[in-house]
Amino acid sequence: MSESVQRALAAFRRALDRRVLTALEVCARCGICAESCHVFASTGQLQDAPTARSEAVRRLYRRQYDPLGRIFPWWVRAGEATEGDLDALSEAAFATCTLCQRCAMNCPLGVDTALIMKAARAMLAAAGKAPEMLVQLADAAVARGENVQVFREIYREIVADLEQQAQEQLGDPALRISLERQGADILYVALSGAHTIVPAAIIFHAAGADWTLSAFEASNYGVFLGDPEKARAIARRIVDEATHLGVRQVVLTECGHAYAALRWEAPGWFGGEFPFRVRSIVELLAEYIREGRLRLDPSANPLPVTYHDSCNLARKGGLLEEPRVVLRAAVQEFREMTPSRAEAYCCGGGGGLVAVPEYEERRLRAGRKKAEQIMAAGAPLVATSCENCFLQIRDLSSHYGLAVEVTGLMELVVRALLGARARAVRVPALQAA
Amino acid sequence: MGSWGWVLAGACAVAVNGLARHLVLLLGRPYRPEMARPAGSVAQGVLYAFSWGMLPWAKESTRRHMLAYLRGVVFHLGIGAAFLALLVGPWRAQGAGPLRWALVTLSAGGAMAGLGGLLARVVETRLRRLSTPDDFFAVALVSLFTLAAAAAIVVPALVPAFYGLAAATLAYIPFGKIRHCFYFFFARYFFGAGFGRRGVLRWGKVHE
Repeated sequence: MSESVQRALAAFRRALDRRVLTALEVCARCGICAESCHVFASTGQLQDAPTARSEAVRRLYRRQYDPLGRIFPWWVRAGEATEGDLDALSEAAFATCTLCQRCAMNCPLGVDTALIMKAARAMLAAAGKAPEMLVQLADAAVARGENVQVFREIYREIVADLEQQAQEQLGDPALRISLERQGADILYVALSGAHTIVPAAIIFHAAGADWTLSAFEASNYGVFLGDPEKARAIARRIVDEATHLGVRQVVLTECGHAYAALRWEAPGWFGGEFPFRVRSIVELLAEYIREGRLRLDPSANPLPVTYHDSCNLARKGGLLEEPRVVLRAAVQEFREMTPSRAEAYCCGGGGGLVAVPEYEERRLRAGRKKAEQIMAAGAPLVATSCENCFLQIRDLSSHYGLAVEVTGLMELVVRALLGARARAVRVPALQAA
Repeated sequence: MGSWGWVLAGACAVAVNGLARHLVLLLGRPYRPEMARPAGSVAQGVLYAFSWGMLPWAKESTRRHMLAYLRGVVFHLGIGAAFLALLVGPWRAQGAGPLRWALVTLSAGGAMAGLGGLLARVVETRLRRLSTPDDFFAVALVSLFTLAAAAAIVVPALVPAFYGLAAATLAYIPFGKIRHCFYFFFARYFFGAGFGRRGVLRWGKVHE
């Protein structure tokens, strides 16, 4: 047995908790789950069915842990792990499964294939079989946390530019973006790129929120690797920052996996609840709208809009109604995709697939089901609140000729906000005339 | 206790011991409960998982594969009836007519559904490719056991065959795929608790 296979099996042993063991044991191979997977629904190939995908892990599990698998491996289709098996498993776990859990919702027994695939990712990462790009991105994020002082000074200058942009867009010089301000109510964690900072600054300012910007980005590539150590190291930067600043809430930008990781998984990595709430900006937008803190003019978004539920926010995160509250207030015509909410199809870009260039062809093929849904909705604008979904749907639009624009919820809210402000200025002017 | 009684008691001991071993194995693995502040109710999620969530129309997959799902439901009801028939076997002669015929109907129906499932595993390419030899054997064994349960009530001469198949089924439970009957309860619990806690599932339906 090679050294990498030994490392893989050791990592698998660590990942094998009660939930993973149950998921491995309970499958009856009825195959009913097949079409619930967007990849199988798009390709029709058996190896893309959740059962088939997880059988690749069960094969190794049975050989190690099942008495029948050790004595009569052919009877239960058990097999020794080889380098070739790990390479094949890497394809199944990283290139075709987005960990969306749609199959878990649809399994009559409750098999959670995403959990099995996460365990597979952990063993593959330990064996050096994870996609190089994901490893590099995770390592870069960890390194950034270790050299934060150098980075902070550069970031401060960038933030000053962004503040100016936001002021100009809103037409209000009073708008401020503070970086890591002690005692703020909200610590807002963005992604790299102005598009997640400027609209948020406008919204927070308009709602009168007491907020400050995090020096770190929300994404956590350690989660994609199934590597709990890296995931914890990346999350720790934000946890330490929020604790040090004494904020009451950490608000994450429109990013699905960042929300699922910090909101739901991270407390487990650190041994308990945080002294602050973790929320998505989507929750906050809905809250501001419900409380009447944002005056929106839906006519500023006149085109019909449909919404793609990010798996991490909806099915895995429980944010099912909040985006709809936002859309109903911010756009003139909202059209649901079918199915939606917890039953929504994955777009095919999750689980880190969007970040890995060599998976492009496969993820576009796997997005066919989502492309069909978007076409059926017939709206020229697709809103989503996850960066990976945004990139994937934009690619799907050009690949399948959907001719749709993709946008985030914050962007729609800002347009509606600016529309309402412009109208408020226009109406008194008309009345005076 | 006659010789069949000893055989069945022995098979039962194998099943209980084997499942106890599985319980020890399961509980020996780390438990990593979610520690995040809940957004929904674990209890409602678990309730959903064991009730509404099992109904044929509750999931897209079972709506799509309604026949296969119902076949599975009937098969498992039949298995339950067959075990009940085994349990009340010594009092077969005193058994009330309606109970006997209910057991016959349920076990016979279950056997037909099981054999239908076995045929599907042979005929349907997707199922055949997914199946291991253990899958074919387990479904065949349990289908025959269920069939024998129905037959033995109607034709007492078949009681030894029923007992033999019952002993084989019981003894095989911890070793092959039949042990999913044990893990099922844990799987549904984890499913309901996880999605319930996150506010995705609630009693009655998937959150809409």
